[in-house]
Amino acid sequence: MSGRVAPALAVERLDVLFGTTPGVNSGLRNISVAVGGGERLAVLGPSGVGKTTLLRALAGLAPVAAGRIAVRGADVTALPPERRDMVYLHQTPVLFEHLSVAENVAFPLRVRRVSNDAVRERVTAALAAVRLPGLEHRAPHMLSGGQRHRVALARALVARPAVLLLDEPLSALDPTLRDEVREAIADVHDAADALDHAPALVLVTHDVDDAGLLADRVAVLLAGRIAQLAAPATLFASPATLGVAHLLGTYQTLPALVRADGAVDCALGTIASHAVLEPGAAAVVAFRRDALTVRSVASEPCAVAARVVGIRHRAHGASVVLRLESAPGTPMLEAELRGAVAPGVGELCGVALERRAALVFPA
Amino acid sequence: MDAVALGAADVMTGHTGWRHLVLVALAVSSAAPFALLALWSVQGEWFFPALLPSGLTTAAWQSALGSGTFGLALATSAALASATSVLGCALALPAGRALARLRGWRRHVGAAAAFLPVATPPLALGTGLQVVLLAAGLGGTLPGVLLAHLVPAVGYLALFFLGTFSLWDVRPEEAARTLGATRGQVWWRVVLPALRRPIAEGAAVGFLVSWTQFALTLTVGAGAVRTLPLEVLAYARAGEDRAAAVGALLLIVPPAAAFAALRWAVRRTTVVPA
Repeated sequence: MSGRVAPALAVERLDVLFGTTPGVNSGLRNISVAVGGGERLAVLGPSGVGKTTLLRALAGLAPVAAGRIAVRGADVTALPPERRDMVYLHQTPVLFEHLSVAENVAFPLRVRRVSNDAVRERVTAALAAVRLPGLEHRAPHMLSGGQRHRVALARALVARPAVLLLDEPLSALDPTLRDEVREAIADVHDAADALDHAPALVLVTHDVDDAGLLADRVAVLLAGRIAQLAAPATLFASPATLGVAHLLGTYQTLPALVRADGAVDCALGTIASHAVLEPGAAAVVAFRRDALTVRSVASEPCAVAARVVGIRHRAHGASVVLRLESAPGTPMLEAELRGAVAPGVGELCGVALERRAALVFPA
Repeated sequence: MDAVALGAADVMTGHTGWRHLVLVALAVSSAAPFALLALWSVQGEWFFPALLPSGLTTAAWQSALGSGTFGLALATSAALASATSVLGCALALPAGRALARLRGWRRHVGAAAAFLPVATPPLALGTGLQVVLLAAGLGGTLPGVLLAHLVPAVGYLALFFLGTFSLWDVRPEEAARTLGATRGQVWWRVVLPALRRPIAEGAAVGFLVSWTQFALTLTVGAGAVRTLPLEVLAYARAGEDRAAAVGALLLIVPPAAAFAALRWAVRRTTVVPA
């Protein structure tokens, strides 16, 4: 017998078609990913890319055109939703309005004909895990938004699925509620982990922060394919493509030209490149706000003259919007304001790019 | 007072008199026939030009309730209406759901097919059905009349449930499936409980479609199946006004009870605790 343990969820070369334009088969192509028991995978992508469709296809709620879905090694591609050992949670929590909180949570056990004593025990434990004790007899319409999410998670928890699928669980929530639900997801996962049946968790989101905060790994879905699959830190530091960098929303870009030695020239200087690029070809240099340093004058080493055209204040700090004096046609740049240098709007300053933090992509 | 400061209700106060008059006219037109029927059913002697009967008697009631004719007709009507209600809902519920899942022209054609028996005059429908049911050996039988009543009832109810399922949220069903419920369990544990109110309303509609049916019972039942509407008409044509009035009043009881029950059920299901 092989010592290798099958992943909780294995998706192999999955094709899922969707779209309403006749004759045009838009959809997801060649999706392959494996998620271990207890692992959290975020599927990150822009709106309309097919994140929800992918999740529904995994759950058996949407048809699959090709490929294979396996749960704990067993092929479930052709099985109905109730036999896949996966629980799918909708974007807004869907509770059975004719049942009390306790009966909602007990639902997966009732349909499996679990004994009343076991039902009571597991429902109580699940409600405690999501910090909702004492609400057993309440009707769903009397719960707050956060409580409804918690009940839906508790109900998923008692089903003890191999895979838990969460469809945009935090979108359309106010910041306080986002924190509450994020905490509830972590609670449920930890509670299941303590009972040694933590499910593989797959959540789809278009929010980069949610992906980073909730997931062990992130699969970036772009143009129907997985563009990158990596741990959040790796993804955020090294987006594999320009498209991924754009999706992350934290990167700004400058046009560049490939030199004969393989480095690239851009308005902020010469950047070494690890990418194999044709000399003379157009390229793009991408970097985050924190890779730019604002200097008091442009004459400082490595600094390029720029004029401040705006200041943006955010809860966690301020940044300046700059127009490069030497290349007025290039996009505006944004640099974080750190230290004592704080130029005003209309003033000239210097801006320097930390070369190691810059990434080079083909244009 | 500044006219702009007046609310819409205040501005309308100029028409209050007319509104009251219309409401009174509506109340009189609704209540007067029943009051007259009640009076008619207990009249002693009542000849023109007397405004009121010269005396009152319960003879017609005693006779009607004591005779087997009315009792049998009442039982037949109640049995037919109950069966039509239950079977009609059982058939129309999945039909309405299937119609609601259709899109584009298919849905229009389906809805038109359901509407056809509703729109067809009962006498024409009965004449057509009579041919089929006679050939099937069901002419003049209770099952034959039941089948005939089911045709318009299922049409009505399919359209009724089409409306219900057009606004139906499938997400609870999806949630239930991925939580481990089979199709059957979803139907019994999620769909039917959520449909309690529309089913109650549909059952009442199905009951009333059959209860008030006359032409279909007459043509398909061929006089062998005697329901209350048929008996009332027979008494009226025979000049037995008191007996006809008693029968007509008995006809009103189930619809009135159904509406009262519905009102009670609606009040129970729409109050949301604060």
